[in-house]
Amino acid sequence: MTASRSGIPLKDFYAASAGVAARDEIPGAYPYTRGRHRPAQSGQGWIHRELSGEGNARRSNEQIKYLIGIGQMGVDVIGDSPTQSMLDPDHPLVKNAVGTQGVSLCCRQDYLELYAGIPYDKVSISSSVPSVFSMTGLYIALREHGFPHDRARGSVLQAPLYAEDCSYSAGMPYSLLSRLALDGMSFAAKYMPRFHAYVEDTYFFSETGLTGIEEMALGFVEIRHLTRSLIARGVPVDSFAPRIAILVNCSMDLFEEIAKIRATRRLFARMMKEEFGAQDPRSLSVVISAHTSGLTLTAQQPANNIVRGTVQGMALALAGVQAMEISAFDEGFRTPSAEAHMVGIRTQQILELECGVARVEDPLGGSYYVEALTDEMEHAIWRMVGDLEARGDPVALAEQGYFRRLFEQASERHYRSISSGKVKVVGVNCHKVADDEDKLLRDIAERKIAPDRQRIEEVKQFRAARSQAAVGRALRRLHDAVATDQNLIPLVIEATDAGATMGEMAGAMRLACGRTYDPHRQLQPDF
Amino acid sequence: MRVPKIIIGLFGIDQHEVGALAVSSLLRDAGMEIVYAGRYNTPESLLRIAVEEDADIIGISCHSWEYLDYAPELIGLVRSHGLDVAVVLGGSVITATDARLMEAAGAAAIFGPGDPPGAISDSMRRITQARRQSMRGSFQGLD
Repeated sequence: MTASRSGIPLKDFYAASAGVAARDEIPGAYPYTRGRHRPAQSGQGWIHRELSGEGNARRSNEQIKYLIGIGQMGVDVIGDSPTQSMLDPDHPLVKNAVGTQGVSLCCRQDYLELYAGIPYDKVSISSSVPSVFSMTGLYIALREHGFPHDRARGSVLQAPLYAEDCSYSAGMPYSLLSRLALDGMSFAAKYMPRFHAYVEDTYFFSETGLTGIEEMALGFVEIRHLTRSLIARGVPVDSFAPRIAILVNCSMDLFEEIAKIRATRRLFARMMKEEFGAQDPRSLSVVISAHTSGLTLTAQQPANNIVRGTVQGMALALAGVQAMEISAFDEGFRTPSAEAHMVGIRTQQILELECGVARVEDPLGGSYYVEALTDEMEHAIWRMVGDLEARGDPVALAEQGYFRRLFEQASERHYRSISSGKVKVVGVNCHKVADDEDKLLRDIAERKIAPDRQRIEEVKQFRAARSQAAVGRALRRLHDAVATDQNLIPLVIEATDAGATMGEMAGAMRLACGRTYDPHRQLQPDF
Repeated sequence: MRVPKIIIGLFGIDQHEVGALAVSSLLRDAGMEIVYAGRYNTPESLLRIAVEEDADIIGISCHSWEYLDYAPELIGLVRSHGLDVAVVLGGSVITATDARLMEAAGAAAIFGPGDPPGAISDSMRRITQARRQSMRGSFQGLD
């Protein structure tokens, strides 16, 4: 007997007896398994966007304008590894990484330059930069560019329980990251009501090699943790739940990925209604965006990645997501080149305009197989949520390294499944070609971005030229507020306006939590 | 014969530990001694660990381009201290052209994502054996 990627046993074929849960469901109605849109809104397609960011803010601004020029409908910016780790570009440890794998952002001027001339009324502004800084940076840019905050659309990612344990650690306590997420959500509910201040980012942590079941179970644990905490603060569920979205991964297991997204919508709706008492239909019908899996892409034969991106994009279109990014064919080597950006956007356009996959809502609804798999995924995800919550408070679990071990085990499992040949990857463990014959698109994939050393000098000059006294006062206020129950977002905005950098603000907040100012112990506070 | 002792780590701010952890466990399973140095290493910190541990090999998992500057620096540092520690690199970002550059700079071996686990452990054993023989040679010379 075969099994899906998450290990769900599969039959040879499925008949009418299977998957009965969705038999009477319709799209746009509770429990939203079949999509959040009412049929009258169908055929609208999804937001086409690609992840971008390289060099300094000016260079990344040009990249965004290029993408909008070829049809991108939303912006999604990723920071370079120092930015993702909340380190300024002049930190001694990061000198070889500035601007090479994303955009370098650390101060007020960067956000003004990043979004200069971007039509806020036409595109949504999302980012994969640490949420507190990307949201406040955007807030300042909107204000300076004269666009009303209450009309701004976009999102920031939150993963306070997991961010420290995969990919980019910033040396922040889990409790502080949770608090910043909650502060961001409260702030946005008041001042940026159309902005999604909480996108549950299941993408990045599932890239450790988690299965679809594990991905969504961990995602739900975090959603439930933040929802409970915000309700405990006295914030009404219907004031923030409509602005929760989920950014999911999409691997190569076509049907399981579709079932995963359908099951997620159903579980979210039930949970919000039955457990948290939400009543607004928008609180129940979660927005789902997606990024196709970078982990499934290979350094070998980069052209094959275009096919992988297409299959994954197709799965997402059939599942009815609200926005997608297709990982670029050069992912094995670098952040997307202009050529890879073009292919990603064109793939989405071909899927939508030529295949007509978005003509009707939930085109696979009623398929015996897809409905059965949706039910199986639903049950398996919820079982795992129960198991995880039975282990105790999720912040405590994170502090004990429980999630980190899960991610490490998943990485190892993933690596072994490929090296043993259990999971087939064309061009890697089967149907390989010799290195000297592997030429197609390699020249583009292998082109590098040099570290932006000029940027390091510019930041040093900026630091020397600003009013240190004003920066010091603002950092002190931010530091002192951490011990109170004040919302920290306005204080981050104030400090940024005063000239403080991301590294300094992160350091001030770390200090206030009893951590070292600089997680790498190379810098000292100056306030 | 003592088993190969290998330091495994990442350079600078490169935080993608997936490969480093996987290779560590693979080499441990193959009977080797792994000292996992993890993230945030500089050439200086890796050299210090290698000396303290009397390691045979420093293996760097590379998932950002930082290694292009750091790896030659580390190799230079090892040589300037007169140490006999091999530097080995692995990771999908290392292109064939860059692999040649790194070999020219003195890297003992370079692995890509397509290399079978057996090839990695065999290479580690060969490098260690060569090091031990040269050390025995120099001790005999001292006698």
